[in-house]
This record gives sequence, structure tokens and C-alpha cells, in this order.
Amino acid sequence: MMFKRKKKSSFEGSGLILFDKVEEAIGAEKILKGENYPVKLVAPPPTLRKGCDLAVEINLVEQMGIERLFEKKDILYLEILPLKGDGELLEIVKITDFKDAFMVKAGNMKLTFDKNTGVILNASGGGCPDIPYLHVRMVGKKLFEAPRPKEIGFTLCALMMDRALMECRELWKEGGN
Amino acid sequence: MLLISGTVPIKDLPLTRGAAKLEGEFLNIDGSRIPCTQGTAALISAALITAEYLKIDPPQALVVGDIGDGKKSRSLYEYLIKNISNLSPDVLALHYILPDIALMKKICEAVEGCPKKPIMIADASSMYVAKAAGLAAKFDIFTPDATEIAFLADPDATHPAYINKHLFETDVTRTPELLTTAYQLKGAARLLLVKGSIDYVVRDGNILETITEPNVPELEAIGGTGDTITGLVAAFADAELELHEAAIIAARANRMAGKYAQATPATRIRQIIAQFPAVFKKHLCEWSGACSVPSHS
Repeated sequence: MMFKRKKKSSFEGSGLILFDKVEEAIGAEKILKGENYPVKLVAPPPTLRKGCDLAVEINLVEQMGIERLFEKKDILYLEILPLKGDGELLEIVKITDFKDAFMVKAGNMKLTFDKNTGVILNASGGGCPDIPYLHVRMVGKKLFEAPRPKEIGFTLCALMMDRALMECRELWKEGGN
Repeated sequence: MLLISGTVPIKDLPLTRGAAKLEGEFLNIDGSRIPCTQGTAALISAALITAEYLKIDPPQALVVGDIGDGKKSRSLYEYLIKNISNLSPDVLALHYILPDIALMKKICEAVEGCPKKPIMIADASSMYVAKAAGLAAKFDIFTPDATEIAFLADPDATHPAYINKHLFETDVTRTPELLTTAYQLKGAARLLLVKGSIDYVVRDGNILETITEPNVPELEAIGGTGDTITGLVAAFADAELELHEAAIIAARANRMAGKYAQATPATRIRQIIAQFPAVFKKHLCEWSGACSVPSHS
């Protein structure tokens, strides 16, 4: 007699999606798997538990793409959190003045624009695979004509780039433009 | 042989492996033309130009098109897991690949099967996942910037977007403290080259060298200047320089190339890369103490 073991998922996530209801978690897992996101259903640790007793473990770096998918498909969820740490995304931005250009740093991303024209001169920092793609799509465009990383990117680096873009747009407006 | 692996922003590019060649502003890898822009393409270009100057074999590139959804990144991990022991590179540089903790663990396991353990270099997301997976000590070199050293010093963060805000706010003058913490928490590779207004070369927690000249602040704004440093380190390591020397020369060469290019915030990375041969011609002898380039067959 042979006993067949169910193959254990080797996926190791770093983030958690919390839901109000068990059926929402099960439905979300199915949607995510259908889009080829590596995920698994887990019981949230007591320190992170909110809502129901079931959560979906994700690769945290893919948070932004998952949030956009959920919005598109009207999937309800409570929160996305890292499995470790205080769970807060960096909100701080730092600005460097290069005389004719401002460089805005949000987390690990930096976006630089021309003070006189509002054209994005460069994007640097980060390390996720959508960053070279965003670089190609954004550099050389005016701040309000460039696509938002939140709309075409997928990762936490892209989310930080989006924050930098929003701050650049504010600075540009404050300059009387 | 130096093997560089990462993604490039060409959505439909299949997994492609071959010796890198430069064709104007493009890289040619096994017939695929890839623009020399920020990211892995910049790293490969810098390594290739260095290898050409040193008259060593060009780097082998293993790339795949991925615009961030990660689908092709996984094929790259799988290829490396399956083939790395046969490829058996002397130096393995891992770059822009969607972080996957389980797959990075498998790569590190597969590397153990190489006849000779390669010098392992990680930058960008490969560095993020190596740290998040608790594998930093398996790597010989990481090349973080000032924010990323705070990430390596944060015991909980799995991505720099989630580092503790107090660490993010840390003044650059406190980088040595972050370095100490990163090593204590086993978040650092054996050697770190920290890129910033002051570049630090650190081995096992000890600062070996700081580099501040020439001071070209605009380099921070230019997308790809971190990638080129990693490419330089990888090529010099492949040329059998001691790793700390490779890091020190890489940091100096990158700064000098910025000066030669008269860098502004609008400078493109290919303009920096184009300066490397002139920088090497003028300074490499003095910096390395090796004043002749061997002629290889």
C-alpha cells in the first residue's frame, strides 16, 4: 500500500493579507493563484490577527500589484502587513536641491526633475524588476504627463517611486507652476 | 568566468544566455539587443567595458524580460537552480530579480554543488531577498546604498520600504553604527561596499577604506550609478583582484567617471559608462599597483 503525501508548498512569504470573513480569504487566494501570484492560506499569528482566523500569505514585495488587482476585482480585505516589524510603510521623503533640479527621495527611490521645465531628468535607487521599466517610461516626461508607478508598477519599489512622484508634483505646484 | 543574472525591461524577452557584446548604445546577448539603461543592463555594460580593458573574457549574461510582475523572474531562478553547478562560474552576480525567499534559498543550495564555490555578489532585489532569507553571510559582496544599509541593519524589514523610520532618518555620519548593527544581525555579506556621499568598504564589520573623492553629488540622481559600481566590482573580482581592492577601485572609478562626464542630474548612465576606459587608462595603474594589462589569447 502506498501513502501519497500532499506536496507541501515551498513558498515562503513575507507579508499577510487580513480579511474580515473566511470566505473572503478563500476567494482572494483563488484570484491570486489564478494570476500566478505565489500565495498560501495561513492562520495569522495572534499579534497580527484582525478579522477572521484565515489570512493569505504573500510575497510582500508584490503588495502594490496585489492591491491594484483587488481594487479591479472588488475584493474586500482589511489590511496588508509585513510578517515582521511594526508594519508601517515609510512615509518620510527627503529633498535635495541641485540648483536647477530637485531630487526627491522616498524610501529607497529617488526621482529628479528640472525646476524650470518640470521634466523628469532621472530616476535612481530601488531594486525591483519594475524599476528599470518605470525608468524607461518616466524619464524625459513632464511630471504630470508621466504615468504613475502605482498604475503600471507592481512592487514596493514602485510604490516608493509613486510617493516620490507625488512629492515632485507638489513641489512643482508650490513653485507657482 | 563572470556570470551576471537579472531581468531587463523588455516584456517579451525570453530567458537568454550568452557572452555580452556592446553595439553602440545596446548590449547584444545571444542576438538580442538590449538598451544600455539603468538596472542589470548597466551592470553588464560596466562589467563588459572593464573586462575588455583588462583583456579578460567578457561576462556571461543570463537575462530575461520582466517588467515587475515577476513571472519571468521565477524562470530565471529555476534556470540557475538547475544549471549553476554545470555553469560553475568563478563569480556570480545576482541583480534585479523579483525577490523570492524559497527560490533564493534553493539557489544558495545549488551553488554548494559547484566544483568551486563562486564569489557571490548581490545587489538590488537579490540583496534584499538574500538578507530577508537570512542568507547574507553566504554572499561575498553586497553593494548597498545609504538607505539599503539601514535596511540591512533592520532586524525585521524584508524590503527597504518597511524599514524602521528611525533608521531611515539616520544621518549619513552614523553609517558606521548601521554597519556594526548589520554585521551583528547577520544582515551583511562578508564584504560591503556602501555607496553614498562617503563610500565605505567594509570587511567582517571592519571599515577598510572610505572614499570621498572626487565628490560628484549628482551621481546619486543618475539612475544606474549603483549598478555600474556592482559591475565594476564583479569584473575586477573576475580579474582576480582581492575583493576589497576590487571594491575600492570600483568606487574610485565610478566617481572619476562622473567627474569625466561632467555629470549633471540629467546625465544618462551610458554617458558615465563611456568614460571608464579613459578613467582606467589614467588611474588604474596607480590605484591597483598593477601597471600592465596581460595579453590573453
